[in-house]
Amino acid sequence: MVKHKHYRPPGKKKEGNAARYITRSQAVKQLQVSLPLFRKLCILKGVFPREPKKKVKGNHHTYYHLKDVSFIQHEPLLERLREIRAYERKVKKADAKKNRDRANLLRQRRPTYRLDKIILQRYPNFIDALRDLDDCLTMVHLFAALPAIEERIEVKRIHNCRRLSHEWQAYISRTHKLRKVFVSVKGIYYQAEVKGQKVTWLTPHPLQQVLTEDIDFNIVLNFLEFYEALLAFVNCHLYRSINVKYPPILDPRLEALAADLYALSRYFDANSRSAVLDPQASSLSGSGNVESQQIGDSVSESELRLAQLQHQLPSNEPGALMHLVKDVAGEEEEDDDTRECKKLFKDMKFFLNREVYRESLLFVIPAFGGTVSWEGDGAPFEENDESITHQIVDRPMHGRQTLAREYIQPQWVYDCINARIILPTGGYLAGRDPPPHLSPFVDNEAEGYVPDYAETIKQWKTAGRSEVLPLPGVGKEDLEDPQKLLAEGVIDRAKAKEAVEKKKKMMALERQYHDELNKELHGVPHSSSVSNIDNHISGKETEDKEEFDDDSELAKLSLSRRKRGNLEAAEKGIKRKKDHIDVIRERKRKLKESQKSKEG
Amino acid sequence: MSDSEGYDSDDYPSIRGSDSEDEESGSSGNEDVLNTSNNDHGNDDESDSSELHEGVEESDSSEDEVVPRNTVGDVPLEWYRDEKHIGYDITGKKIKKKEKEDKLQSFLASADDSKNWRKIYDEYNDEDVELTKEDIKSISRLLEGKAPHRDFDPYAPYVDWFKWDDSKHPLSNAPEPKRRFIPSKSESKLVNKIKLAIRKGLIKPKKSKEEEEEEESVYPLWGDDSNSTGKNDHLSYIPAPKPKLPGHEESFNPSLEYIPTQEEINSYQLMYEEDRPKFIPKRFTSMRSIPAYENAVKECFERCLDLYLCPRVRKKRLNIDPESLKPKLPNRNDLKPYPVSCYLEYRGHEDAVTSISVEASGQWIASGSLDGTVRIWEVETGRCLKHWKIGEAVKYVSWNPNPEHSILAVSAGQDVLLLNTGCGNEEVQKSTKELLSVEMPMPDDSGKTASSVSWLQDDKLEGIRLRHSKTVTAVEWHRKGDYFSTVMPAGESRAIFIHKLSKKFTQTLSFKLQGPAVTSVFHPTRSFFFISTKKIIRVYDLVKEGKLVKKLETGLREISSIAVHPSGDHIIVGSGEGKLCWFDMDLSSKPYKTLKLHQKDINNVSFHRSYPLFATCSDDCTAYVFHGMVYSDLNQNPLIVPLEILRGHSSTNGRGVMDCKFHPRQPWLFTAGADSVVRLYCH
Repeated sequence: MVKHKHYRPPGKKKEGNAARYITRSQAVKQLQVSLPLFRKLCILKGVFPREPKKKVKGNHHTYYHLKDVSFIQHEPLLERLREIRAYERKVKKADAKKNRDRANLLRQRRPTYRLDKIILQRYPNFIDALRDLDDCLTMVHLFAALPAIEERIEVKRIHNCRRLSHEWQAYISRTHKLRKVFVSVKGIYYQAEVKGQKVTWLTPHPLQQVLTEDIDFNIVLNFLEFYEALLAFVNCHLYRSINVKYPPILDPRLEALAADLYALSRYFDANSRSAVLDPQASSLSGSGNVESQQIGDSVSESELRLAQLQHQLPSNEPGALMHLVKDVAGEEEEDDDTRECKKLFKDMKFFLNREVYRESLLFVIPAFGGTVSWEGDGAPFEENDESITHQIVDRPMHGRQTLAREYIQPQWVYDCINARIILPTGGYLAGRDPPPHLSPFVDNEAEGYVPDYAETIKQWKTAGRSEVLPLPGVGKEDLEDPQKLLAEGVIDRAKAKEAVEKKKKMMALERQYHDELNKELHGVPHSSSVSNIDNHISGKETEDKEEFDDDSELAKLSLSRRKRGNLEAAEKGIKRKKDHIDVIRERKRKLKESQKSKEG
Repeated sequence: MSDSEGYDSDDYPSIRGSDSEDEESGSSGNEDVLNTSNNDHGNDDESDSSELHEGVEESDSSEDEVVPRNTVGDVPLEWYRDEKHIGYDITGKKIKKKEKEDKLQSFLASADDSKNWRKIYDEYNDEDVELTKEDIKSISRLLEGKAPHRDFDPYAPYVDWFKWDDSKHPLSNAPEPKRRFIPSKSESKLVNKIKLAIRKGLIKPKKSKEEEEEEESVYPLWGDDSNSTGKNDHLSYIPAPKPKLPGHEESFNPSLEYIPTQEEINSYQLMYEEDRPKFIPKRFTSMRSIPAYENAVKECFERCLDLYLCPRVRKKRLNIDPESLKPKLPNRNDLKPYPVSCYLEYRGHEDAVTSISVEASGQWIASGSLDGTVRIWEVETGRCLKHWKIGEAVKYVSWNPNPEHSILAVSAGQDVLLLNTGCGNEEVQKSTKELLSVEMPMPDDSGKTASSVSWLQDDKLEGIRLRHSKTVTAVEWHRKGDYFSTVMPAGESRAIFIHKLSKKFTQTLSFKLQGPAVTSVFHPTRSFFFISTKKIIRVYDLVKEGKLVKKLETGLREISSIAVHPSGDHIIVGSGEGKLCWFDMDLSSKPYKTLKLHQKDINNVSFHRSYPLFATCSDDCTAYVFHGMVYSDLNQNPLIVPLEILRGHSSTNGRGVMDCKFHPRQPWLFTAGADSVVRLYCH
């Protein structure tokens, strides 16, 4: 008998990977569902393919763990989805038979399903849910900005997404949990720290989004379905944790004006002080949509977005947000970070001109303790308010400027937040080219290249901390003990290295001096010993380096093949990084040269 | 033909047949409603045939105001769409169409005219008709499903069309059926069915709005933070890796040095598509000028695909300094002395030096070359003491380890020559000369020896010539200097010979080797004998008549050389793949350590006799020196530390360093290069 490669006597059970993993088509067959339904279940249940150590059926299959599959199989939702499918057939049949009454009746009583159990199953603890929230927030924020498309994205869902995103932002802003903001070409990245978890999400720019044809909306909508439910529960939990009722009941009039975020913060306010919304509010509500038109001519936007941007809501209490902030402060114990963030824009009053990202700034500035108003009828305070300290302007303004306030570009706000200090406004004045906007997510020193502006900000920071004005040129020279300075965290590594080199040189000079003294003492004539110390040092260094190279090569010899591979890969990675930085340095050098030549 | 105009509403328009194609009016859209709502009146039985009657009726009412104006007859209007006329007048002349108004103008006109909404275009007559108030009223009544005229009473008492007061019998005398008086059975069946379905829960009563909302509402799903559910028995959840956070270059306003120049962007086109950077930094001077990101939705979609389609594996990522991966080796300075730098060069050969051998005292060194000469050098001065011209390319030279003889074994071609080197004092010379004399007629003791090897006196070179049947590649002495072995790879089963010098006697051991033999070595202390083929090393016990003691599987493909540690328990093997294997004889038949050292073939390996050193030499023109410490404690593994890479030889005909040998007492290494130089490396 020819023995097969994987011969197994009849009746013997499969073992190992063959028993533990099945391919996707096997899984579909086992579950008796269609492929789209299987996909949906996988998405909702969070089941993903796994990589068995040995792929029994071949390399081109995707493998699911048998436990994962049986996990789906025992899901009550599966039965429910089957029911729904059968029900849809009934509706279809009634339609086909022109039994309209029945079809309508059936349509009204469609079975639904809920995802709460699944969410609890996937995230047994709240922290787990927070950990996985990044994608959820990004997607919900994206859909909040998308236009509704017939037969694909319902208006209802988009409204829901917008509500959820506003609820989340209101919570973050109110509890001052926002840490970093970065305006990139792709959108605005926010990073908040909730319960010790760093949650990062991306919101698109408030413009008409481009919808491409080559994406499968079914998959995205399945994800969105889960994310909506998840975010609703997360918001609910967070709101309860600060003793606010969820879902927030908003003033229907404010909701109609699509001023959700502000309405929410007012809701917080009302809730925490158990006060009723002021009755005079209605007097201001008759505002026209002048403003929306203004925005409309600069930026083409969908109607939805326009409505969203109309933050004309009545309020005759400018300090509402500040009150709110104070209220919260009493309630919670906060860590240092939060306290620092809360104080950043304290006692500052911002006024937003048109053409700035109002949504984002309305979220960000209160999160850091500032007060903000905007151009438009429902704003908390008017443009001619004397107490405004900063006016945020994107397009240079001509004339009618008040001396008492600073006219700055919106980038200043974001840069201040990332640096956690109030930066000098000089570079950000309206009409100027602002300094570069740097990513707060990059560890410059680990990367090996520190952009100039990061360096400047750091100096301002240290200067601010030590309450001493920075003295350019003086402070740098007397760096005596680099180690000590490093320990103090005042200077960065590059400088420390520089200092070390300087020290070395000094020591070499000293040594030479001693040698010469000795020589003189021993009566050796002063010969050609005016030696080049630099040469000496560099010579020694190169020698060192050579030896080091040889050493490392020899050390590599006695490694096993796998370890050597690891080592080489690591070295390759480091080299790639270094090459990238070299390219940047080279560009910088060329830029400087060209600038010089222009000046000269 | 009847002309029908909805706006002439004096009459009862519903009686018009719905199928008459020429019917065209403002109220045409309402016809369905009309017909269905008035079915009760029994007017639906009017068909095409009744049109005449209808027309008459119609004309009755409107004869004084409107002339029937259908000018084309009963044909579809489409036929006239592209024509310039709409019909014919009574004399047969064409009636021209009105000039069509500009759409924009008509729109503007309509916007201006507040009464526009009641204007309707009549296609048949090509004119605009304004609906009167009454018309609109009747239309709206029709829309409501009522009779068009306000005065019409649908529930007027029935006036029988047939007077039968005086007649004796009714038209039908049938009694009223019973079913008219009892509840319907089928209906009750239907009701029962619904009742049952409701009871079973198949039909659910419609929920009130509050209930619905309650169901939709979210509730605090997670309890307090103390809620720590125990370990669940599911598979481990591998969280998806978070998306990469953006760097400086993704900023809307990055530093200028992050923006690639146009040349660089162009050069991206030349790269492979996978290598091409996905994102090219751009600079916008103000936030209002940032455009919408065109790939936002697509990237979201791709992330979704990654999340549910990509197999997830926990992978350990080495995020450590590569230096820490390297083993911590003892400092090389502590392992001194070892050969470091080239001290002397022995020049004189005219072709590649294939083999060298050091005399037991370490005073002399012999070298054999492809130019057919063998030379003897004084080690410390580099003086060439002697040289022989063998005539054939020398493959191997080997000095007799016995200090009482000064004999050098040289293999060249098919011969092995035993030469008197002429070193040493007179006693040595004397004994050597005695040994190197063969009585010419050598009696054949055993048939097997004579056939392959013959001992001959060579007068010219003053030595013995052992003539083999095939080319001899290696000659190795026994430690006592009496026996020596020769290897004849082409000899198949008789590839190895062991000769006894004192008796001038050759012995063939028929070892069963699979494949040609490469080298052979005597064990330094015991009666073992190592023979290597290209893949396997076999160890035989010579005392027990060539019994196989051990088989060492190297895992190499092309063994080139072996060397035995002076203690005899460790072997190093060099191979053509540039690999070195260290065997611990006591440990296993698998290598203790395999090192991939050289880029090219290893030609030779050698141990130092007293220092813990060994060396390899290779065709890539380098020789590596290692510290190879062997401990007497069996539990401690041998320590192998690479010490030095010796360079200096140059490549000739693709060959590099052909041979390396240690000095017997000093930590010095001799290397023989294909560039016809022998070098001495000292510490």
